[in-house]
Amino acid sequence: MMIPAAGPVAASSQQNTQDPADTTAEAPPKQVATAMERLSRAARLIADVRIGADRLLEALFLAAESPYQSNKSIQLVLKEESAMRKHFQDLRSLGKQLEDSGVLNGSVKLRGNSWGLHMPLVCPDGAVVAYAWKRQLAGQAGASAVDRTRLALKAFTDQKRRFFPHLEDEAFTQCSEGELGVAKKPCFSHGLLPGHKDELREERTLPDIINSLQCIAPDIKIYTYQRLDWLKRASSLSSLPSDHLVDSSNEYGLQSSSNSTSVLGNAASISEDQVAVIELLSPSVFRAVVSLHPTGSMSPDAVAFFSTDEGGSYVHARGRSVFHVFWHVTEYADKALQYFQSTNVDTSLSLILVLLIPD
Amino acid sequence: MTVKWLMHWQPKPGTTLSTQILTEACQCVESIGGQKDGRWRSVLTFYKPMQRDALVPVDHPRDFLGLALQEQPAKYYFILRPNRIVLEADASIQVIMEKLQSYKARVTLNFEGFQYKLGDFQLRVGKCVPSASEALRGIMMEVEYIPLSSIDKSRQVLEEFFDIWQETISKKSLPGHFMHIESNFADYGLQDRYTSHHTAVQYATCMAQLIAAVRC
Repeated sequence: MMIPAAGPVAASSQQNTQDPADTTAEAPPKQVATAMERLSRAARLIADVRIGADRLLEALFLAAESPYQSNKSIQLVLKEESAMRKHFQDLRSLGKQLEDSGVLNGSVKLRGNSWGLHMPLVCPDGAVVAYAWKRQLAGQAGASAVDRTRLALKAFTDQKRRFFPHLEDEAFTQCSEGELGVAKKPCFSHGLLPGHKDELREERTLPDIINSLQCIAPDIKIYTYQRLDWLKRASSLSSLPSDHLVDSSNEYGLQSSSNSTSVLGNAASISEDQVAVIELLSPSVFRAVVSLHPTGSMSPDAVAFFSTDEGGSYVHARGRSVFHVFWHVTEYADKALQYFQSTNVDTSLSLILVLLIPD
Repeated sequence: MTVKWLMHWQPKPGTTLSTQILTEACQCVESIGGQKDGRWRSVLTFYKPMQRDALVPVDHPRDFLGLALQEQPAKYYFILRPNRIVLEADASIQVIMEKLQSYKARVTLNFEGFQYKLGDFQLRVGKCVPSASEALRGIMMEVEYIPLSSIDKSRQVLEEFFDIWQETISKKSLPGHFMHIESNFADYGLQDRYTSHHTAVQYATCMAQLIAAVRC
């Protein structure tokens, strides 16, 4: 039986003499067992209280129906009253014991329990979690059962989609499509997608994709980096006063060479198969970072948005912006990316890049 | 950089300003979740030319404003509204002006109040008092949207914020409302990317309105 939020039980000033040292001296498994046992006793007491309340009502009805037997009903009421009082006292002391042992709140974590075995937690919806071994579980134990299931399912489907795209089920793609539809409308343009689908289906190289993007949106600057170079740039961003002082040596220029491993127009000679990070910069608006994995391939594995003023080593495709708006946009872009990857891995890069460009 | 909107309090005709309005505005900010972040202070000075020789007609500009902003302590901004000029100078220019004695400070207004942090926004609510007296000349608000620097792109966000703010403050039934005046930045030669120059222009635009509002 689930115990409802034991608020009134915990908030009690009356206490019977109770030795709190008992609980800390026991080993954690014993503490857990004791706590579970106390919780079940509390449940029984609450049931007793309910029965007592019913009996009191009965006695009152009896008194109302047959005033001649008032003596009998008075006796009943008095008997029930003393029984209820006892139940409440027991419940209060039990509640105090539970509170001391840290069951109703997370206080036992503060005691530095190195066994990793936490006391049973009573969740807001009344569910009792007996063991919370790892930190993640402990965090999720605070959530309700529905949330826990949803989180687990999401984690598993994400991983499956990422590492086993060929095992994709029809059901999953439809689920993510629906999710994307009901999400808050992001300020992306979807209008570009239908017209470009035919071109995107062909196999294209990275330079082709980037060149076509530059034609669609000349305001957006696109740069490519090796992974380590991006890290250096990200760290230097915080010291730059404005984003106009951009190192143009990595700027993507139109290539005259038709060689697929052509040098991408800079002194550092990044060849196509060394490109690991693509940066889309819309001056004064946003900076989007797309990471490719494996390096040099055409499959994006992460995307993130940041403000143009942000800089530091956290600015990368898996980083999180300090601004709420860019964090939300990153989450939606991530969902979109996973959807694209699940439907057609080949075109996912072109699709995600096109999506990132606002109208 | 961020994008900022300046709003000033427009009292209902016939009513007077009071610090009560300022207190209510601060409470409104806190009611929508703003967290007090400190104080802010900007100083605006009206300059008038010093005429050595009264007989010689002088061609000095009349509407000459100087502005010291809290977020740029090392700079001082000059605005010439009739000529549509905004200029950024080093803060030491004030010392130079005093030495030159070519312009004299006619009126100095202090804008001071509290600063609040509200998600991706930063709000400043304050009063406008002349440095000479304690009389309340006006009530100002600065709304700053931090993630973007493009005025064009952030317009919609700030408009929506302004709508929410108007709704919140109208519940208090105060005599008047906050107003935002669009400044024509292109006239001053400024770009879409927001800078402190834009803030200076907004202050200048506000001043004319503020003074007119208090006078009548």
